Amino acid sequence: MRAIIASEWLKARTVRSHWVLLAIAIAFPLVISTLVGIFNPDPQFMSYRELGSMTTGTGVVSLLLLTSLWVINLTSEFTHGTIRVTYAAVPARWKVIASKAVVGTAVTLVVMTVLFWSTFCVGALLLDRRGAPIIVDGWLGHTVGVWIALVALAVIVSWFGLSLGVIIKNSPVAIVVVLLWPLIIENLIALALTLSGIETARKWMPYQAAIQTVDNNPGLDGTLGRPWAHLYFAVFVLAIFAVGVVVDRRRDA
Amino acid sequence: MISVEGLTKRFGSKLAIDDLSFEVQPGRVTGFLGPNGSGKSTTMRCMVDLDRPQAGTVRFSGRCYKDIVDPVTSIGALLDASYVHPGRSARHHLEWLAISNHLDRTRVSEVLELVGLTEVAHRRVKTYSLGMKQRLGLAATMLGDPEVIILDEPANGLDPEGIRWMRDMLKYLAGQGRAVLVSSHQLSEIALMAEDLVVIGRGRLIAQEPARDFIARHTTTRVRVRSPQISDLVESLRGKGADVSPEEEPLTTDGVLVAGLNMATVGELAHQHGVILHELSEVTDSLEDAFLAVTKDDQEYRSGPSS
Repeated sequence: MRAIIASEWLKARTVRSHWVLLAIAIAFPLVISTLVGIFNPDPQFMSYRELGSMTTGTGVVSLLLLTSLWVINLTSEFTHGTIRVTYAAVPARWKVIASKAVVGTAVTLVVMTVLFWSTFCVGALLLDRRGAPIIVDGWLGHTVGVWIALVALAVIVSWFGLSLGVIIKNSPVAIVVVLLWPLIIENLIALALTLSGIETARKWMPYQAAIQTVDNNPGLDGTLGRPWAHLYFAVFVLAIFAVGVVVDRRRDA
Repeated sequence: MISVEGLTKRFGSKLAIDDLSFEVQPGRVTGFLGPNGSGKSTTMRCMVDLDRPQAGTVRFSGRCYKDIVDPVTSIGALLDASYVHPGRSARHHLEWLAISNHLDRTRVSEVLELVGLTEVAHRRVKTYSLGMKQRLGLAATMLGDPEVIILDEPANGLDPEGIRWMRDMLKYLAGQGRAVLVSSHQLSEIALMAEDLVVIGRGRLIAQEPARDFIARHTTTRVRVRSPQISDLVESLRGKGADVSPEEEPLTTDGVLVAGLNMATVGELAHQHGVILHELSEVTDSLEDAFLAVTKDDQEYRSGPSS
């Protein structure tokens, strides 16, 4: 299995388009943080809570870009036919998919963690140079909690993208479905269930439940709290993953 | 040795492979022939566990493909030269393949040298010609120094030097005791390298035998005769029961093709009748003629008239 993971790691880092996506995912929050730090007209009134929230908000964009990267990393194999070379080399197909998940998880963990801290620090340093005092109050602890939740969410969403990629095989369609799942698909399901009398349906939409936890007040307003929402979403994603592996094993490559 | 037994593959309502059985012996190049849509590529994909057959088995020296540990080291398969990520370099393509099967990376440099791609190994594959991609595919096939080699149309896009190189290489590899199965529509190439043939049509086995026997069994040997007194000779040839037809290529007025008599008999007849001969030679049909004769009822896609 280690050999397959090493092989997938090599695959992931030897395609330029992957690096471009990664660069955008990293640059976006850093650029926004830098611009806010430099051009905020009133740095004295920019609280660290707001800086933390901004970091979280831009981190969501990075999360979606990273997810797209992992979807493309898999679906491009179907597009270019390299999946046939891969599966001929590794007939146990689930090991290939699992190895891609391992690589995606490791990179996402590192990138998102470094990204949050670097984005926050860049913004804080720039604001500090402009006279805003560095105050590490209770909000930092809260913000770090949100970041950890978002990093965990990024990992689960990357598995989600991978699982849908295995089933759908087509890059644009898989990315659109991953992006629209919480916005449209879960909303439509929740609406249908609500209309049929299940009032708490929205609370049980797995992706939305997990997204709620990166809000400032998780567990309020009838939402699932941390870490249950993540766990719930992870179980849902693992079920999709299992379906993907079974479908992939049965069909022609 | 490769043993295919009762292989059956259906795509929806279309039966692509119909209870197909054949064997590929080690130490020989086996040509895998069939018209377009006859199921050659599907058979090859089933062999390496990419397509799931509805019935039948494929065994490599008694083992199923999925049970072979690090299959790249036992079976080298080139199914399509375009199965490479265009944004990845040739070296990286071979490296991930090598790593996945516990092969040393030094082997990558060796096979790149073998196929003549060392100088361009760092370039992204999208800049490669079809011939270069074929060479890369052959490098991937040879990466694990396998005992079984399966190639689907490996000569596509290769230049004459590349085709000759590939032919010599496959014969050399078979000479080392490896089983080589190669499909191609370039029948002249197959005729030059294959000792055995497996011919299929509409997913069914049509023939499996040595190439020489296949050609002999499905073609007729004729005698070409050219003479300024050809009309005098034709009568006596027909009198001996020969089938005489005018020569079509090259188009001449003094030449005929004779079937049913051997060259010596034709020469003796000419001598007996005092007929001057300008040419007396044996004409043997090619593998292409034999193939077309055998598969004439199994052509799925028929061309219209060329003019």
